[in-house]
Amino acid sequence: MSKMFRTTDMILIAVMLGGAGVTFKLKHDAEDRLAHIRKLEAEIRYEEDTIDLLKADWALLNQPGRLQRLVEAFAEDLALHPVEPRQFASLNDLPVRPFEVDASSVAAIIESSEIDPILTGEVAQ
Amino acid sequence: MMRFLRKPAQPDALTFPIVVQGGRSVSGGRAKNRIAMVTVAFVAIYATVAGRLVVYGMQDPEGGSGPVSRVTASRPDIVDRNGEVLATDIKTASLFAEPRRIVDVDEAIEKLSLVLPDIPHEQTYHKLKSNAGFVWLRRQLTPKQQADIMALGIPGIGFRTEKRRFYPGGETASHILGLTNVDNKGIAGIEKYIDDAGLADLQASGLAIAKDLQPFELSIDIRVQHIVRDELVRAMERYHAIAAGAVILHAKTGEVLAMASVPDFDPNNPVNAHEKDRLNRMSAGVFEMGSTIKSFTTAMALDSGLVTLDSTFDASRPITIGRQTIRDFHGKGRVLTVPEVFIYSSNIGSAREADVVGIEGHREFLKRIGLLDRMQTELPEVATPTEPKVWKKVHSITISFGHGMSTTPLQTAVGAAALMNGGMLLPPTFLPRTVDEAKAVAKQVLNPQTTEDMRYLYRLNAEKGSGKKAEVEGYRVGGKTGTAEKVVNGRYSTDKRFNAFLAAFPMDDPQYVVLTILDEPKPEKPGMGATSGSNAAPTAAAIIRRSAPLLGVSPRFDFDNEAQVVSLP
Repeated sequence: MSKMFRTTDMILIAVMLGGAGVTFKLKHDAEDRLAHIRKLEAEIRYEEDTIDLLKADWALLNQPGRLQRLVEAFAEDLALHPVEPRQFASLNDLPVRPFEVDASSVAAIIESSEIDPILTGEVAQ
Repeated sequence: MMRFLRKPAQPDALTFPIVVQGGRSVSGGRAKNRIAMVTVAFVAIYATVAGRLVVYGMQDPEGGSGPVSRVTASRPDIVDRNGEVLATDIKTASLFAEPRRIVDVDEAIEKLSLVLPDIPHEQTYHKLKSNAGFVWLRRQLTPKQQADIMALGIPGIGFRTEKRRFYPGGETASHILGLTNVDNKGIAGIEKYIDDAGLADLQASGLAIAKDLQPFELSIDIRVQHIVRDELVRAMERYHAIAAGAVILHAKTGEVLAMASVPDFDPNNPVNAHEKDRLNRMSAGVFEMGSTIKSFTTAMALDSGLVTLDSTFDASRPITIGRQTIRDFHGKGRVLTVPEVFIYSSNIGSAREADVVGIEGHREFLKRIGLLDRMQTELPEVATPTEPKVWKKVHSITISFGHGMSTTPLQTAVGAAALMNGGMLLPPTFLPRTVDEAKAVAKQVLNPQTTEDMRYLYRLNAEKGSGKKAEVEGYRVGGKTGTAEKVVNGRYSTDKRFNAFLAAFPMDDPQYVVLTILDEPKPEKPGMGATSGSNAAPTAAAIIRRSAPLLGVSPRFDFDNEAQVVSLP
């Protein structure tokens, strides 16, 4: 009987130790995770702040006033001029695309150097 | 415990089984009681532990140590109609020191001055030598400065993050955006409007969390806004004016695309924002608008149905009323048609046009088109127009050509939009609004036919009248000049003027109204004129030339002779 009790004791002690061990490990892991989460959160906050700052920076660099100063500074070197109203055109104003030229022989070029009679999207009759 | 149970049990079991039974039950009963007590004790202990665990589990882990950051209210970003940032919150680091923890003050100052060369040595020395627990050394550092100071590794100093409102455009849209105070509360402009529209309540209840705040979209286009301000700064310099202002209004929705008034201020450093000279003249200033008001006089006459474009008015002789004599600046000395009254900007003709509808009718029309009442819009800085207490004949006559009544330039532009868009009066807005939404809030104030006639007159005036210099090739600009004499010490001054040019384009179907004002312009060069046609009109042209492509108006060259088709009689 006493032996049996001792065996039970041993098992219970083992279970208890095991339980304590597992609990400790779980707690330790949880603390590790929590520390990791806090670190990540801090990093996210830092990144978010950086994004905010970069957005502000982007807006600052894209200010029309700043771009205008740059354009004025480089106007001469890059031959920049304000757009004149007559320089605007729509797709409809484009001339019809010339017919593809077969450059294999001179005769072919002469023959095909006319405007393609078929407009884009038009069906040949 | 096992032994305690076993010992008395054995002899009893051999001799007196029944008594043993009783003895066992007695001793067993006592043991049971003890076990129960111990169990209860253990259960209580573990329950306490478990309860504590649950309590701990519910709590949020506390943040790091050190001084707590100052809680500054978060504000939403303000963006323009294309999503470009106009105002945003940025976090800046501020440097503080805990003097008690500083080991070597001289060394600390020496090191700090490597990063902050302009740090005042003596003052900082006294601060750090003091026995205070906490002193500010420098507010709002750049991230680079912060990193450099951290790299110095000075003990006893630290950083605290603070929120600050930042306006990437600086002065560009200062009058529209307004200002915030140190606590990040809106105190002027759209910033104040955002607070009044519910942000303040949100902040008070602690719900204004930066991440959850949607960007606040405006109807402004920052590119156009820049162009307007840039041209105004140039015009102010070129025409030696004390101030200049302009607004671009969407004629069909009432949206303000751009509005500027110079001199203005830098909202990032608003030291001079409250100087009287820097007020927003477009909405917070009232002026006698001068001849631009003749647009409304003519529209009123046409809208009454008593006058058509073919009607004539006798402008051959000045009008004398009381002690005043009304003359024409460019007098023709003959009978003029309605288009001629308009393009020659005849005071006499305008007075006679007003006479057709009568004094009451005149006032009623200006009320109807919103020139006499305080304008309703999002900007808090709006001035109230002034008018004579009692309208008499003389008032009706002078008001017909824009004197004797003061109104804000912005609401003049709003009224002009009604003249151009088919007669709908749209309250101006700084927030995006679609054409359908605009129709829902619109008030029909004119006959559509009046609009047709006014478009013709505006175009005619830009082609043949005083607005020639406002012409921009391809964009079909139309407009009306106004050169008003300013009142100085109760008299009309002859050399101090208030010039305005009220324009719209493209005239075949006006999309935008542009009002440009110049306060006290002088001749560009001695000997040149300083009338509206020679300064405000070219300024409007410059604004339209640069902004029309951005506003989505495509140039056309097949309309140029439209107005000439209808020849003058």
